Amino acid sequence: MPENRGLFTLDAAQAYLSAEPQMSTEQLSDRLYTVSDGQVRTIFLEGDSSVIAFDTFGTPGRARAYGKAVAAALPGKPIGTIIYSHDHLDHSGFAADLAPAAEIIADEMCARVIKLRQAEGQLQPTRVLAGERHELTIDGVELVLLNPGPTHGTGNLAAYFAQEKTFFSSDTILANARYGFMPDYHFCNFVCYMRGFLDLDWNRFVPGRYQITDRAGYEHGVDFIEAVMIECQHAFVNFVPIWAYEPMKAYCIDKLAERFGDLEGFEGHVGQMAIRIVHHYLMGGWGLEDTPEPRLLMANQISL
Amino acid sequence: MSDDEHSCGVHFGIFNIGGELPIQGAYRDICYQPVRDNIWTASEGIYRTIFLEGNKGCIAFDTFGTPGTAQAYQQAIGRVFPKKPIHTVVYSHEHLDHTGYAADLAPDAHIIAHDYANQVILGRKSDGQLAAHDTFLDERKAYDIDGCYFELIYPGLTHGDGNIAAYFPESKTVFMVDTVADGVGYTTLMDWHLTHYVPVMERFLSLDWDIWVPGHFWIITRPRFIEILDYWKRMFDFGQQAIIDGVDPHDWEGLNTYTDEKIGPLYSKEFRYYEYGAMNLSRYMQDYLTGGWGIEGNLKPTLGDL
Repeated sequence: MPENRGLFTLDAAQAYLSAEPQMSTEQLSDRLYTVSDGQVRTIFLEGDSSVIAFDTFGTPGRARAYGKAVAAALPGKPIGTIIYSHDHLDHSGFAADLAPAAEIIADEMCARVIKLRQAEGQLQPTRVLAGERHELTIDGVELVLLNPGPTHGTGNLAAYFAQEKTFFSSDTILANARYGFMPDYHFCNFVCYMRGFLDLDWNRFVPGRYQITDRAGYEHGVDFIEAVMIECQHAFVNFVPIWAYEPMKAYCIDKLAERFGDLEGFEGHVGQMAIRIVHHYLMGGWGLEDTPEPRLLMANQISL
Repeated sequence: MSDDEHSCGVHFGIFNIGGELPIQGAYRDICYQPVRDNIWTASEGIYRTIFLEGNKGCIAFDTFGTPGTAQAYQQAIGRVFPKKPIHTVVYSHEHLDHTGYAADLAPDAHIIAHDYANQVILGRKSDGQLAAHDTFLDERKAYDIDGCYFELIYPGLTHGDGNIAAYFPESKTVFMVDTVADGVGYTTLMDWHLTHYVPVMERFLSLDWDIWVPGHFWIITRPRFIEILDYWKRMFDFGQQAIIDGVDPHDWEGLNTYTDEKIGPLYSKEFRYYEYGAMNLSRYMQDYLTGGWGIEGNLKPTLGDL
């Protein structure tokens, strides 16, 4: 039986799609857990009679491994609800392999993108949320979902758990510097939105990749992105060749290593980050998502 | 930072750092040459655009990407046609590096743009980028301005928003920015809508032309246009295979090693391959890892003859 393919067209992808990695699960509170395949990270919660799972991981094999990790932590409780953090396949592409009968909750714009994409294995949300803040009770679990505006991907929902003083946000801030080329980030309001989450009372941050951190680690991460944005502007206006990897990397290391060299992956990634971020200022941001009062161009071309 | 707070004394785009912005005011020599009939092309060495000689004035496409280069562009056109001021500016798309500084090029000119580009320009509120006076939503619209006939074509999503080509049927010439240009793609294919790119660009083969003027570097021929599109097509399979082979799209060293081994034997002689081959691959990998980006990246491509 071939695997759900996402968007892959090569038959050779089957082995990649099937592989089930070792998952690492950690209990964060009575009902809150986090799980990682070594790179991508997510959370799940124990409800009264079922499990609420955020995201699916990025292949059918990883989704199955996630399901097994959930079952090992909470035996006898099926996954009744999946909440998509955002639309990207590496996080929410394979609900068909995790829990095909679950209710799926997502932001409205995320749902529109998924409907357009028609990726094999990525199921359409069954409950769509529009707006910035949603206080939900699902199977006895209280949580808050937040989408202040475009940060990464489309319809990116963060989750706040007041009782646990825990905040989850996928592919936005990391506890390290391993951002790579920062795919599908929207920079115009990014720092403002991410810093706005600090108005909430929490002391543990679960990112969508790599390790967990605390409030100070999150603030350091926001400061890092802001600092790269500032130094990219200084590089640009002072004639650093912004189209070249090595000069941008060298400039940013020179300017930022003292404050942020402690972040794991700093030297390997800051050049990639700089190449992406400096083009925000060269080009002006990408699309209406990346303007001071963001909207989505052509969103009316798809209905739910 | 507001206009009042900025001290640099030139239009500042979307920069929000204080103090001087030396690159914004820097003058760059613009070179220019005739293309065919009333079409001229201008470049500062990296960026390229066109301008047209009308009966009474000139039509400038784009503005270049800083106040200094916009002013140099205006002076270059003035040198070729000293008695013919720029009365019309056509925006290829909305990015500041091509259309950010009409305020410095020709602040009183009539500006034409695609509606999608203008929506972004209005939302962006970038200092120096003027909104269009005349927009259109159709796929193809003919203009006859001051004796210059051209057709503006929006073929579908390619790069940026509202990216249009200018087609000159009598001159068998097309001008289009940040799509097909010689060599491999620029960095990680910034703001490209990858799903659409190849089928939408292939639509131009239904038109009769033999000169393609890109937004960067040099003019190319129709056969070269086809060769370059073939590179973009093949990169889809390379992107998938790299994921299957376990390449991390954010591992710069690993990307370069893999690219040199797998793609280099075919494309290492292409212009800028050693700068951007690995970045191109990383972007293609993301299309399979994350899916297309946003509404634009997931709409079905527009197909068929233009």
